[in-house]
Amino acid sequence: MVYSSLLFIYGFLPASLLIYHLTPVKFREAVLLMLSMVFCGMTSLYFFIFISVYSLINYSFANIIEKLHKNEKLAAVPLAAGIIIDLTAAFAFRTEYFSWLHRILKAPESFYPVGIAFFTLSAVGTLIDVYKGKIRPGKHIIRFLLYIMFFPRLIMGPLLRYGVFTKILDNRRESFTATGVGMTVFIKGLAKKVIAADNLYMLFAAAHADNEGSISAATAWLGITAYVFCLYFTLSGFADMGTGIAYCFGLKFPQSFNYPLLSTRIRYFASRWHSQFVQWIRRYVTKPLYSICPRKWMREIIFVFGWALFCFWYTVSLNGIICGALMGIVLIIENHLLNNKIMNFTGMVYTFLVVVVCAVFLSGSSPSASLRYLLAMIGGNGVFVDSQALYLFKSYIVLLLVSMYASTDLFRNLMMRSHRNKVKTVIVIVSPVVLMALLLICTSLISYNGSSEMLLMKL
Amino acid sequence: MNKLISKITAVVTLSFIFLFGLLTFLGSKKEYSVDENRHLEGLHEISAEEMYDGSTSRQLEKYMADHFWGRSRWMIAKAAMQTELSESIVNGVYVSSERLLTADPGYTEAGNVSSDADIINSFSKEYDGMVYFAAVPTSAGIYGDIIPSHYVRKTESQRITELYDMFGNDIRRIDTYNILKMLKDSYIYYRNDTKWTVYGAYCVYKTVIQKLGFQPTSYDKFNIEHVTNEFRGNLYNRTLSKRPQADIMDIFYYPDGAGIVSCSCILEDGSVAEGSIYNRDMLKTGDMYSMYLGKPVPVMKIRTSAKNDMKLLVVRDSFADCFIPFLTQHYSEITVISPLEMEGDISDYINVGEYGQTLFLFGIDSLGGEADPVSKFGELYFS
Repeated sequence: MVYSSLLFIYGFLPASLLIYHLTPVKFREAVLLMLSMVFCGMTSLYFFIFISVYSLINYSFANIIEKLHKNEKLAAVPLAAGIIIDLTAAFAFRTEYFSWLHRILKAPESFYPVGIAFFTLSAVGTLIDVYKGKIRPGKHIIRFLLYIMFFPRLIMGPLLRYGVFTKILDNRRESFTATGVGMTVFIKGLAKKVIAADNLYMLFAAAHADNEGSISAATAWLGITAYVFCLYFTLSGFADMGTGIAYCFGLKFPQSFNYPLLSTRIRYFASRWHSQFVQWIRRYVTKPLYSICPRKWMREIIFVFGWALFCFWYTVSLNGIICGALMGIVLIIENHLLNNKIMNFTGMVYTFLVVVVCAVFLSGSSPSASLRYLLAMIGGNGVFVDSQALYLFKSYIVLLLVSMYASTDLFRNLMMRSHRNKVKTVIVIVSPVVLMALLLICTSLISYNGSSEMLLMKL
Repeated sequence: MNKLISKITAVVTLSFIFLFGLLTFLGSKKEYSVDENRHLEGLHEISAEEMYDGSTSRQLEKYMADHFWGRSRWMIAKAAMQTELSESIVNGVYVSSERLLTADPGYTEAGNVSSDADIINSFSKEYDGMVYFAAVPTSAGIYGDIIPSHYVRKTESQRITELYDMFGNDIRRIDTYNILKMLKDSYIYYRNDTKWTVYGAYCVYKTVIQKLGFQPTSYDKFNIEHVTNEFRGNLYNRTLSKRPQADIMDIFYYPDGAGIVSCSCILEDGSVAEGSIYNRDMLKTGDMYSMYLGKPVPVMKIRTSAKNDMKLLVVRDSFADCFIPFLTQHYSEITVISPLEMEGDISDYINVGEYGQTLFLFGIDSLGGEADPVSKFGELYFS
């Protein structure tokens, strides 16, 4: 079950909100855990068993580490064991080399634990934090299980540290206003996914229908632009839906995406794209490595490595590594060269070009296919514009322009700058109507299949 | 101000969600959708195994989608919006004001037809009579050039050729594709369905019947009745888009020709029932196309007043339904079998050896797919 399905929006969500708000306040965390378990069970019973066992193993390791924390060397043993188990689980299901393990684990055919890319990182981060003595899950088994299984976080939800998650739980404030804000964010995310991402995916698929050795330059550009926006709207759409649902339960999650596309610098892009995930890499991988490498060039290599790891985690392939390394290298070059101010527009174009080149690698099936695609983009196939490109341009231009506008912070800035003027009042007043309209559009777009399950990449 | 608006948002959206959730769960459930002409998902008994691998949750999602309150209206709205948002492709169907066409993307692998060819070849070796095979393109195969190039079903004519090339020399192939392609400006395919019209079937009949050893009945000898001009077929069922005009369904009568003496059907449970060549009651249902030959049954035996003792066996899918009536002029007995409706062994139903000629007539889209009538025929015959 994904958030963008009729069963979730019109079945699970209202039922869980009702149950949650009817429960006495002190039992509400337990109810959230129960609801999350039902959510996992509704995906499949196997997934429920898998994630329960996974959480309990991590909880046990966290406890063992906590008990041994006075003896650092001894505590490192369960830490290493826990991390190895977590990473093995992630690679077992995200790569194709572990079919023997699937048989041992009796996994149903084509089983994929949704969200494993993220809950693995959560679990690993928590074990490290416990080892460092920063947090003590101790007897809070409900909170720990909830941390791994919490359903608004499960599918590409924001990647939070355990400490941050418990603080959010401590500051839980249910209110009718929060529910309203939550529904607003949820519907915004739903629209990003169903209206923008799904249709952009059609454009991406259409451009990739032919071999990259024969498409025209214009088609290649349309295809990769669609991919960049589709990726953004899929990831941020799911993150928004998760954040919105959490809001309805009175939990304030931070946002993961801060309008990264069409930034004026690559470094702005990098700090706004999937920020929780970037911070995770910085905190648990690159920062500890910096401390043992004092020289600048070594740090720069680590920096590039961090980015390579970041993109590798999206695709679990060589292409991801290339994409990330490119991004890292460009960031370093930018730091060295681009201290002077440049025009916003120039900056935007250059940033977008870098992002597009990275995206070619992220979307490609192999490095050579991606290189051929890059060649096609500069007209290497000898065709610049063909009838297919014109047809696709005509069919999708409105969607592309609207998506571009929606991916910038222009609208938000308009709202922030226009204090107490009439425009803002009108926009605020009509917002419930707009949201209702978006909900209606999304419902009808998923009415035929009952859900919109395109995830672009398995995370 | 903002707080008030948030509260209003909560009330409006949640009451809508609760209302539609309740209407869906408490509302009356239909088993069959007239608009989509299909049976809707029912609630299954829950088994541990299905829960384990997640099929229960998939069924539940499908159940929710099928019985979502006002499903048809939501779908109509979807068709209208989808064409504005992106290409004119709705639920895998190309929508234009001229016609609807299947637009399965060219990049999905079409099923392999070689196993089908093997089955027909081995059948032909064991069978004493003559085997004829007609693979008919769908409307997308004939009118594919109006679909954007990356959706073009370039494979439909290629697949027919591929299949025919694999047949042994003793099998008579009928080149339906070129006959129909030449006549593409005539009303040979429905605008809202993948299948041919009666006129399209007639054009192919003229060739088929000569191969079978008869002279075709000429067009001017038929009285043509327009039974309805409100037909919307399987492509409409998938999109609920009314952009193209509704279709006309015809019946070709040949007053001076042989009449139908009897028409009996063997049903799935083995019982025998009276059938008919034209079942006008079906025009009042969502499945208008079944006016031709009625609902599919495993076996239909048609006896005619044709003065010879020629017997023909037709192995069919839905493409054959409007084609069979033309054959009744020439044979005293025609037996029509639908492999997909049959269970067990073919000899439980009929003795294939009694028939001097066997005609296989299928839409090319159903070969090599999931519900493949030829591979089912192979199972029934060689079991």
